[in-house]
This record gives sequence, structure tokens and C-alpha cells, in this order.
Amino acid sequence: MLRVEGLDAGYGDLQVLYDVDLEVGNGEYVTVVGPNGAGKSTVMKSVFGLTTHMGGTVEFQGVEISGRRPEEIITHGIGYVPQNDNVFSSLTVRENLEMGAYILDEVPQDALEAVFDRFPILEERQDQKAGSMSGGQQQMVAMGRALMLDPDLLLLDEPSAGLAPDLVEDMFDRVDVVNEAGTAVLMVEQNAKEALRRCDRGYVLVQGRNRYEDDGETLLADEQVRRDFLGG
Amino acid sequence: MEIEAVRGRVSGLSWEQRFGLLLVAGVVVMILDVIRRLAVGELAFTTLSTFLWRGLVDGLLIGLAAVGLSMTYSILRFANFSHGDLVTTGAFTGWTTAWVIGGVGVTDIGTRLLINADGSSSARELDLQIFAEPLAIVGGLIVAAIGTILIALAIDRLVYRRMRTAGGIPLLIASVGVALALRYVIVFFYGERTRGVVRSSPRLEHPAIFWTESIVVHQFVLVVSAVILIVGLHLLLQYTKLGKAMRAMADNRDLALVTGIPTERVILATWVIGAGLTGVAGYLIVLEQETLNFNTGWFLLLLIFAAVILGGIGSIYGAITGGLIIGVADNLMLVWISGDLTRVAAFLLMILILIFRPQGLFGGVETA
Repeated sequence: MLRVEGLDAGYGDLQVLYDVDLEVGNGEYVTVVGPNGAGKSTVMKSVFGLTTHMGGTVEFQGVEISGRRPEEIITHGIGYVPQNDNVFSSLTVRENLEMGAYILDEVPQDALEAVFDRFPILEERQDQKAGSMSGGQQQMVAMGRALMLDPDLLLLDEPSAGLAPDLVEDMFDRVDVVNEAGTAVLMVEQNAKEALRRCDRGYVLVQGRNRYEDDGETLLADEQVRRDFLGG
Repeated sequence: MEIEAVRGRVSGLSWEQRFGLLLVAGVVVMILDVIRRLAVGELAFTTLSTFLWRGLVDGLLIGLAAVGLSMTYSILRFANFSHGDLVTTGAFTGWTTAWVIGGVGVTDIGTRLLINADGSSSARELDLQIFAEPLAIVGGLIVAAIGTILIALAIDRLVYRRMRTAGGIPLLIASVGVALALRYVIVFFYGERTRGVVRSSPRLEHPAIFWTESIVVHQFVLVVSAVILIVGLHLLLQYTKLGKAMRAMADNRDLALVTGIPTERVILATWVIGAGLTGVAGYLIVLEQETLNFNTGWFLLLLIFAAVILGGIGSIYGAITGGLIIGVADNLMLVWISGDLTRVAAFLLMILILIFRPQGLFGGVETA
């Protein structure tokens, strides 16, 4: 479904990614892990048209999307949840979700119901300002907003960042729920062990280049990967 | 023992809280003093109500102009110093229209188009006031909005759009340039002369209904128009898709972009609404003060900024409230001090707010 080949990308003159290859199949759950500064988030932003494209291809469902603007990429069926500041804090929960479907003429009631089904607390708190909710709940708002267009692929940039440790597990559960409903997930995570345990396939990125690629479980079991990136 | 306890509590307060307490105490003392003056007859009730009414009129005008500034600040992220000259633009486009319509058959088209730049006619000759020339006054109001919108959009296209990602300071400096250019284009066409463009407002006398002895119709028109526009803006921001997108973009521009909100369209709408309200404010200011000059808006800019800062930069409701506070304070100060010194009070308040509560009375960057 998503096929990234030989991607060179960065910000302005600064190149961050070198010849990166990556693939996500229909309904697949893929994570990208690696040390800080490896360019994990940049991969995600490049797919979503937020970086300077310097070479290579990004194909989504057979359509070349590199160099397109985010508002266009969204219409192809990709949703993106940024790492920080990912809710409109002065808007209500419901308004946040409505904004997720801005490109449609009307708020899709079925999508809204689906989000409320997945995250019932959002329905309960729909009139509350998003900024007044807890970190875990804000993460739900952010995910819900990205799901309003019922994307085929959801990009999640370090969803566990800033969450209290006891909430991280819940967060991973929610990603499972989304994936099990048929949405493919491409996730960048610093919590590498847990992410690899949960996903179908994983990539290890080092200094902007592909290093390893395999089943999550295989990567977890790999001596080299364990020693170099998972702290033993 | 009790003094110790009180001292402990006071030193536990932040500077911001102490400032707040002082401000509240000051306001309470002033209110008590007003009551005392009313009681002993030092201050006539009609005088007080006149001050309050004029405060409301000034406050709504400043608030209306401040809303535009606040909107462009929160969505485009820069302090627009040419905002005062957009006020002037509204005044000139609007009153040109009012003269063109109202002066038919009275004076030649050249004089009307340049709002009596040659001094050959007068507002008296045209009998330009709401009852005699309602069409001219209302037509001018509409054109003031449209004209200001078109000019603001043209400026955005020519200048600001090219610098969209340049950051607040370059944009601010560019806006100072725009302010000067706009002002002197107006001077080029209309000249520097201050002219009376409206006749004195008719008055309605009806002591049973009005709290003052009579009501100035132009001021009444102004208050009604301003309130309608403010309520309309509120409804738009809270309940329409566009309004929600504007709040979303003011809240978090990067997120708006990745959410698929068409940011350039929202910016366009921001200019249309912001400049429209600003142009109307400029037109109404002249309706109230009856004279027009190329500096009309520029001189107001500081008061407009004061209102915006008072309410919290970027907050639209804050801007309206800030405008009302400045307007009422400016007029009510006349109870204690005279004339131009009231401005000192308004700006002193602004400086104190900047020092002790820079996020404004109503808090941070929030459109709602």
C-alpha cells in the first residue's frame, strides 16, 4: 500500500534521510525504531509532505505522493498524528474531531460514531475543551481526529511521548484497536521493545539509513539489535 | 499574631496576584468615590450617565477595530502596524461613497469624489445626516467594509503573502512600511486637510425612555451596528465550520495544516472579516466625531493596541472587552482628572498590564 524507495529528504539544505526504503502492506502494523536523531520522525513527515523532498519515491496505493502538500495527501487516505501539540486545546473535543473532517462538506456522522465507539470517553467529554484533558485522553482526541476521514493508513509519531508510564500500555492497546479495525499503522516509537512486540514488522533506522528490517519478534530476539538498540 | 498571619499570606502571593488585588482595590475605591460624589451632589447623575454612554460608544468603536487586529495577530502571527491605516481606509472609502450618493445635485462629482478636498462645499450644504440622507450613510457603511476588505486583500497578496513564513518581526516591520505607504496614498488623493464630513447628529428627546435627556441618533446607530457585528462575529466563530477552523488555526497553525484545513483560505477569510470590521469601525468613528483626517486611524492605533493587550493578545472576546474597558475608563476618568490626561490613565493601565500580566486580563492566544 505504502512504498517508500530510495528516499532522500530533510529540512531546507539539511539532509536527514539517505536512501531509505520502507513498505507498509494493507492493514499492516509497522513500527520504526532507532536511536535519537536517527530520522524516525522525519520518515513519517516525509510521507506526509512536511519535509523537503530530495530524491526517491513515495508511492501510496500506486500514486506518487512525494512533493504534495499535506491537505492533498489527506485526501488519498493517510492520517497523521504529530508527536507534540496534537490537539487544538482551546476547541472542544467534538470540534477537534470535526476539524479532522474539514475537507468534507459535512461532518461524517458514521465516522464520528465510530470514533466514539472506539474511545467512549470522548463521547462523554465531547463538550470539554481538549486542552483541559489528561495526556492520555488528548492522545485519544488526536487519534480520533486523524480517524475522522477513515484513513487506510494512520501515521503515529511517538504516541507514548509525554505519557505517564502506566498509561503507555493503554496507548499501545488503543493502537491495537485501531489496527484490528483494519487501518494500517505506521508508528515511530522510542519505546522500542513494546513497539516491536506489538507490531507485525519493524525497521531499525540509524543515522538516517535503514539498518535492519524484519518481523517485530525476530528483531526483538536478534542479539545485535538487542545489544545496540534495546539496551541488552 | 494576626498581623503575622496576614503578612504570611501576602508574601505568599505572586506579583501578578498582588497587582490584581491592587487593581481591584483601586476600582472599588473609585466606585465608592463615584457613589459619594453622587450622594453629596458633586456629580450629577446625568453627567455620570453621559460619561458611561460615551465610554460605551468609544469602547465599542475601539473594540470593533481591535477585533480585526486581534484576528490578524492570532491567525497570521504578527502585530499589524498598518491596522490604524486600514481604519483610515474604511473612513475614506465609506465617506467618499456617502458624499457621492448624498451630494447628487448639490455639488460636482470631483468635489464629492475627493470628499470636499477643494473646500467648495460642506456637510451642511449636503445635509449629510442619518435622517436626511439615510441611503448615503448606509451605503457608505457598506462600501467602507468592502473597500477596506479589497485593499487589505491586495496588500496581503502583494506583501504579506510572500512573507508568510518569515516570522513576526519581519512582518511587523513590513507592516510599518505598508502603514506609511497607505497613509500617503490617501494624502496623495485627498490631501492633508482635516474636514468636517458629517452634519451634527439629530437628537431624539424622550425622557421617559432614555436615561439621558436626549439621545444622539448617530451614536445610537453606531452602537446598534457595532453590537450586531460583534454578535454576528461571535455566532460565526462558535457555530460555523469556518469559524471553528479560524479558532483551530489561531490555536495551532501547524496542526491545522496537517489536519487538512486549507490555511490560505482561512487566512483569506480572516482578512475579509478583520478588515471588514476595521473599515466599518473607521467609518463609524467619523460618524461620531464628524471630522476626517488622514491620521484618524493612526492616532487610534495605540488605543487599539492597548485594548488588544488588555484583553490578551489574540483573544477576540478579550479585544472587545479591552476596548470597552479603555473606552469607559477614558471617559469615566473625567470625574477625577481633566481632558487629555485621561489618555495617560488608559496607557498607564496598559503598561501595568504589560508588566504584571502580559498574557492580558483574559489569558493567552485564544480566539474564543
